Amino acid sequence: MPRYLCLQRNLPGAGAPADKPSPAQMQAMYAKFNDWREKFQESLVDLGGKLGAGRLATAEPAPDGPLVEVKELVGGYMIVSAANLDEAVQIARECPGLVRPGSGVEVIEIHSPG
Amino acid sequence: MTTPFGDHFFRHEYGRLVAMLVRRVGSRHLEAIEDAVQSSLLAAVESWPRSVVPDNPLAWLYRVAHNQLVGELRRGTRRGELAVEHARAAVEPTIEDPFVPLSGDVRDDLLRMLFVCCDDALPRESQLVLALKTLCGFDVREIAERLFMTEANVYKRLGRARARLREVPLQAADLTNAQLVSRLPAVQVILYTLFTEGYLSAHADGAIRRELCAEARRLTEVLAEHPRGRTPPTFALLALMHLHNARMAARQDGSGGLLLLEEQDRSLWDQGEIQVGLWWLARAAEGDVFSRYHAEAGIAAEHCLSPSFGDTRWDRIVECYELLDRVAPSALHTLNRAVAIAEWRGAAHGLALLDGLAPPSWLLGSYQWSAVLSDLHRRAGHVDIAARYRETALESAPSEAIRATLARRLR
Repeated sequence: MPRYLCLQRNLPGAGAPADKPSPAQMQAMYAKFNDWREKFQESLVDLGGKLGAGRLATAEPAPDGPLVEVKELVGGYMIVSAANLDEAVQIARECPGLVRPGSGVEVIEIHSPG
Repeated sequence: MTTPFGDHFFRHEYGRLVAMLVRRVGSRHLEAIEDAVQSSLLAAVESWPRSVVPDNPLAWLYRVAHNQLVGELRRGTRRGELAVEHARAAVEPTIEDPFVPLSGDVRDDLLRMLFVCCDDALPRESQLVLALKTLCGFDVREIAERLFMTEANVYKRLGRARARLREVPLQAADLTNAQLVSRLPAVQVILYTLFTEGYLSAHADGAIRRELCAEARRLTEVLAEHPRGRTPPTFALLALMHLHNARMAARQDGSGGLLLLEEQDRSLWDQGEIQVGLWWLARAAEGDVFSRYHAEAGIAAEHCLSPSFGDTRWDRIVECYELLDRVAPSALHTLNRAVAIAEWRGAAHGLALLDGLAPPSWLLGSYQWSAVLSDLHRRAGHVDIAARYRETALESAPSEAIRATLARRLR
């Protein structure tokens, strides 16, 4: 089954995230995420994580410092397997907390030979 | 809410973590502490479901919160609120804090935080708001909803409370034994108020009311286990909470309306809770202290032990109200005593007690006053007076549920 790389992206122009969630709301977030994970456990290849600072490695000397675009635009990643792109998008869309105002998920097929 | 840890895991861990950090870093840094705890819980939400839940979740959360807090205080630039020397003094002892979360220590920290909240320089409402925020993990919106305050009011109270805690000199950051002793009554009042807010409040949402009662009981149990809090009034308070809780389910009809004591289905009363309440009441009686909580628990116990409304031992209840009025004089207690006397010896005797009473304006304007007078006058045969009081009572009822109950009771 094809695999897909999901990148959480902060959409351009989005302001600061809304109010901090209260502990009770975090409890709800946690429970929803667990439900989602159980529902799609067959498809979740790698739940990934948040991305931090990075650096570009090149053949020529490159300026120090992180890749600005990645740091500012991509919040986290995960890998799912699905029959097709539509199905992968659906899995990502149902993931609690990923798709919300100001943030979306880019779903990209990972080509494998054969 | 289904998580591997129980219904209120995040709220309760919030309270524990804040209490642990306040003990170690000082209440003057409360705001930075709360921010760090918030971040560590959020980190858990983001990382635990993706990998594995740590063996000791509290230790994990504490480490994350502690690291962030130390970094924050080291930077010492939190909107200029930390003078450099304060930051150094506050941070140095806490770095490399070897941490083993022993449950006894954590309970001790929770209790100390409760005493910190009961700073006598703060008005009681602010003490309550601060306890709900720091120990119960409710946010501003949730507190406003529970205490019928505006969010702006809650916010203002929190701001002033934190400002007051910042003034407490660093050397006095840990409470002295004398403070623990002198603040104990205030701590009991806060727990009592928290419980009453839940039990008697006109809040439409039964789940919210039960939750406040459960929080009050949880913290009172912590108090009752502690050498400083293990006193007869604390036991009586716990007895009162269990005895009231026993009757909680029977207080409402199927559609959320309030039921009068005489209308309640006594088979719905929780016998297990009654037994626990009576056990605490017996412990409260060991010693020579008699508090208002003893009197109130005594009244609740009489109701719980009575097989039917008609079998209620009103003479005993009148006696408890007399004692209550003596240790905590209030016209409201006299009013309640008049109701019990009316049940025991007739409406005329109840009215006679109220005859010489000049109630304060808050009671005079309340639905309780008008409702009792309407009921007693009706039973004494004074139809016209009863009708007048009935009208006033219905007008001043604070909620629909209470108005419906009054309309039924004061036919």
